[in-house]
This record gives sequence, structure tokens and C-alpha cells, in this order.
Amino acid sequence: MANFKKQFLLYTPGITEKLTFRDEEFEKLGFKLKAEVNSIFGRSLSIRELDSGSDNAAEIEMNNLSTPHYDVERFGITFVASPRHADVLAITGAVTHNMEIAVRKTYAAMPSPKFVIAIGDDACNGGIFAGTYAVNGGADKVVPVDLKIPGNPPSPLEIIRALHGFMTVLSQRKTKHQQ
Amino acid sequence: MKQVVDINRIFEENNAIPKSKNGAVNYIAVPEENFITTMANISGKNVVLVGLFCVQNFDGHPGFSLLYVLEKRNYSNIVIVTRRLEQPLAGSVATLFPSACWFEREITDGFGVTFPDSFDKRHLFLHEVYPEGFHPLRKDFRNQPVITSEIIPVDNEYVFKKVTGEGVYQIPVGPVHAGIIEPGHFRFSVIGETIFNLEIRMFYKHRGIEKLAEGKTPQQAVQIAESISGDESAANAVAFCMAVENTGKIEIPKRAWQLRTILLEMERIYSHLGDMAGMITDVAFPKGASPFYVLREEILRMNNNLTGSRFTKGIICPGGLTKDIPSQAIIELSKYLEDFTARLKSATDSIYATSSVIDRLETTGVIKKELVNLLNITGPAARASGVPIDTRFDRSYGIYGDISAQFHKRIAEKGDVLDRFNVKAAEINDSAMLIHYVISRLDKGGICIGIEISDGYALSLVEAPRGQNLHWVNIKDGRIDRYKVRTASFCNWQAIEHAVLGNIVPDFPLINKSLNLSYAGTDL
Repeated sequence: MANFKKQFLLYTPGITEKLTFRDEEFEKLGFKLKAEVNSIFGRSLSIRELDSGSDNAAEIEMNNLSTPHYDVERFGITFVASPRHADVLAITGAVTHNMEIAVRKTYAAMPSPKFVIAIGDDACNGGIFAGTYAVNGGADKVVPVDLKIPGNPPSPLEIIRALHGFMTVLSQRKTKHQQ
Repeated sequence: MKQVVDINRIFEENNAIPKSKNGAVNYIAVPEENFITTMANISGKNVVLVGLFCVQNFDGHPGFSLLYVLEKRNYSNIVIVTRRLEQPLAGSVATLFPSACWFEREITDGFGVTFPDSFDKRHLFLHEVYPEGFHPLRKDFRNQPVITSEIIPVDNEYVFKKVTGEGVYQIPVGPVHAGIIEPGHFRFSVIGETIFNLEIRMFYKHRGIEKLAEGKTPQQAVQIAESISGDESAANAVAFCMAVENTGKIEIPKRAWQLRTILLEMERIYSHLGDMAGMITDVAFPKGASPFYVLREEILRMNNNLTGSRFTKGIICPGGLTKDIPSQAIIELSKYLEDFTARLKSATDSIYATSSVIDRLETTGVIKKELVNLLNITGPAARASGVPIDTRFDRSYGIYGDISAQFHKRIAEKGDVLDRFNVKAAEINDSAMLIHYVISRLDKGGICIGIEISDGYALSLVEAPRGQNLHWVNIKDGRIDRYKVRTASFCNWQAIEHAVLGNIVPDFPLINKSLNLSYAGTDL
């Protein structure tokens, strides 16, 4: 058998370029997060991102989570294209009136159990837009919110730290439930 | 009968004023009876309608005034034609200046001023959920929550243009998209795979930016300007502060302008890097896109180093900067930029060496040169279509007048996705050199002067990464009475409707990314 491999395995995968950067704190958190995700969600946590009226900086940071410095897919985090595939709805923005129906529909389209995370000051409580004519003022005015990550916008590290904290809470809840 | 005002003469007479200081602005009141004739006389003659907005109680006129901001190519001054309305009713100029179409719809929603002869009277930023007769920018509306409807009756639905014919079908996309992007609705009419018509519906993210600024002090309103579009926060903060500084003819310290310039160019670099990475991602070549993402993340970290914010928020203020940038951070930036251009070149070279990528970019999504003036297309999108416009050079502000001799505008001719890719690559390079140039001549002076806010109004134009952003501020009793913002994205969205025609649907994301417009900056 070993002989066979030697003879016929002509293709050897190329080595990708080595990355020169490494954030110790981020890496450590990431692997802890992976362990939690494994135990609670069975290997992967699917996030559906929904912009309900942010200033787009939060979207840039969410996108950054998938770029080489962070690459959170390693830690079992996937951003999915449909709410039907999602465990978590990540909402940015103060939920404008023009987006309200779309937010409700997106939430309704998710299978249970489902969780909602508000990302950024505007999604947490309306931010500078609270009390004005164009917004509802915070995602929790429209759908139930399980976790709030403040920031203008929160950095990728802050998002991952909050996600890890959230997983810890869920894990405790799960243990309690089983007892 | 009063004589028709000759706008062209005003451009001629005031052109001698040097191009620095953001160009001179001439306000000309044109009586209503001659208004349309006056505008018809200059339509199509290299005069571009770059902005149109409504102001209530402007300059002693108790009702509504419409302000038409006109630019003439190669002329340094701006002419703002003011039109005082006796009733909330006006004739449309959208057939003379197509860029007026969205502006007029915006005015109707905001103020209830109607344009009965317009070819498009649909709502713009107020979607169906808002009550009829609601006009948030009117002075008699105090900014407070409104009751909106939770369902949209079928007969109240927004009507898209219908394209009919054998084999034509529609694809509705959005407002919620598959990726991590902002919301907007795209209605394609398609034959087979070829796009026959595209209608873009925006304003899902309308947050009431302009109304929110009213009643605030200029210092308080900077945060609002920064929230217009997160990835243009420096450009919008500078534009807003410059408008405030223009009302009081305030000169800010040179060092403050130098540091502002560094931040503005850092923003251009990370924004363009994101666009380039996006274009390559959208042709399914992640390996090629990664180096651009790596560079962008490094620039965002540099921003954090310089200002404490990855998006340079909270440092720009009327009169200069809220805090100085530590010299250590500047030295680090200077050092970082040393091999930046070589790394950028190696990233772009790997794209140019990949024929399957170039195949996708070349001849895709052409923006025709003749549309640029009509739709007021601006920024890299205009430059890639052979129109040499760049506010930094044409109406320079701050220290751009001194440094523009060292640099030149980046122009391409074909107007396809590849040309926009090339223009952006060249501009990143220029921005890096420009930052280096500024750092090497950095002044040691102060960074802020205490300014006295004076009443009055002023315009400012800034070249944001996506093109020219227009800000107009009217201050009464030290507080903002009216704040008008028109970003480059607002104008360039209409370019996409034309650029996609005849292309196939799978190329739409690529064409969209090649302009990478801000939804937030459009919807306000």
C-alpha cells in the first residue's frame, strides 16, 4: 500500500505563502471560540449579516473577519447567504423605517433556535439616530436581541471577543438545561 | 419682461480667480418667469448640474428656494442659481439636466415641493411605509418618531419601469443581498442572460442625516458628517468642517491641513484597496484578492495608530483637529509606506499576469464618456471614462494647491472595469507618494484654532475616494439651519444603470464592485 502511494501520488499540493502577521490574542480567542462552537453548534456557527441602516463601517469590519489577518472560518464561523441557513442574525444599524419590513421578514425566515446579535452603537440603541423620524432606534425595537456589541464600529477583535463570551453563556445555558 | 440671465457670462467673468480655495462661488438669483429659458441656454454646453437642493427661509425669502449648483468644465468658479418659489411648485429641469431627476424627487419628498411636468414623480427616500403628506425637512416638522405602516398594501407598492416583449423577464434582487453588503434593490429586465434594463431603488438606509444636523452646533454635527458613510468619514468630516470654516472665512493652521490631507489620502488608499480586492473576489480569484486585503488591513491599523480609530473618526473638527497625531505614529507610517508601493505592484502584477481575470474585467461594464456630464458621474468612474476631473486639482482646497504640481490626474479612456481597476491602482500609488511628500514637509505649528462660528452659508467640495462630495451649510444663530450633503455615490448609482446594459447578469456584481458605491452615503 505504501508502495502504491509512492508510485502513483504524483500530485503534491503547493505550499501557500507564509503569513508574516499573527495576533496572539486573536488566535487564542479564536481557538477557544472554536471549541465552544464545536460543543454547542456541532462544528460551525452560521451567521447571516443584515445591514438595517449602518454607516457601512460595521460591514467593512464584518467582511474583514474573512480576510487573511482574521480568517474566522478556521474557528467554525461562516457567513451564510440565506437566513434559512443561519443560527445567528447579525444586525448593524438603527433599523430604518425603510428596512423594517425586510428585517422582520429576514428574522421570520430563520429556523429555530435562532439568535440575534446587534453590532455597533446604532444597532445596540439607535446611537446618534435614536428618537429621530427615520429609525426605530436599535434592533431590539423590531426583533428580540440576545447580544449587543457596542462600538463605532466594533473592531474584528471586539466582535470575536463578544462572540466568544456569548458562546460561553450559551454553553452554561445548555449545561443547566441538561441537568 | 426681465432679461434672461446669462450664466455663461458669469462663468467667464469669474474664471480669473485662482483655482485654489475651492473655487469662487457666485450666487445668482434668477426670476421664475425666466428660469427655464436661462437653464435651457446653458444645457449641453459643458455646464454640469452637480447639486440641486431646497432651502426654507433662505436669505430673507419666506418660502422655499431651490439652489442649483453648476460647474463648468475647466472653469474654476461655481455658480449657484437660486430660484425663489412663491408656492411649493416648480418646473422641472430633468430633461435639460438628467442629473436633476433624483434631486427633484428628493426635494419633493423632503419639502413637498412638486415638479408637475417631471417625467418621474415617484417617491425617492420616503418609501411606502411613511404616511402620505409627510415632509421631514420642512421647518414645521420637529424631528421625532413617526408612525409608519407595518404592511404595504399592493396598490401602494413602488412601480418599477416595465420592459415587455417576447422572452423578457425580471429578476428582483434585494434589499437583502447574499453577501455582507448594504441593502438596495436591483430590478433587472433580462433576455436570456443579457441585461436589457436595470432599475436601482435605493434609500433603504435613509437615516435622516440632514434633518438630524439641524439645530446642532457645528462641533456637534461633525459626528453626523462622519456617519454619512463610514468609509468616507474623513472626506465628509473635512468637507463639513471646510463649509463651516468657509462661512467665517477661517484659515486653519498649515499642520492641521497637512494632517487632514494624510487622513484623506489614507482613506483613498484603503477604500481603493477594498474595491480592487472586491473586483478580484467577484471573479472568484481569492488568491489574487488576498494581498489587497492584507494591505487594506495594514492601512486600517495604521489609521488606528494615527488617530485611535480604524476609520479615522473623531479627530477632524471645525478649526483643525481635535488632537495632534503623535510623531511616533507618523514615523511608523512613513517607514511602512517605504515598501508599500512595491508590494502593491506585486499584487497588481499578479492580476495582470492572470489572463482569466483580465478576460472578465476587459470590455465589461463600459461607462460612456458622453454620460459623464449629463449624469454628473464623478471620481475614478469619470476619470476611467476619459474625463479629466478631480476636485483636488480643479478646485483645490487646503494644501492640495501646493502639491498638485507634483502629481497629475489619472485618466483612462475605455471606461470598462479594467480601466477603473487601473485608475484605482494608480491612485493608490499616488496617494502613498503624496502622504510621503506631506510627511517630509510636515509643519511644526499648532493643529487647531478656536473658531467663532459666524452665521451665513457656504459650499464646500471635496474629492472623496468615490468622487466629489458636496456639502452646503447654512448657520443661523450659531446653529445649523440647513445641511445639504450630496455624495459621489448618489450620482454614480445612475451610472451603473447604464454601465450594465448589454452585459450578462453574472457580471453585475463585478461592475457594481468596480464602482463600489456607498449605499449609506446615498440614502443619508
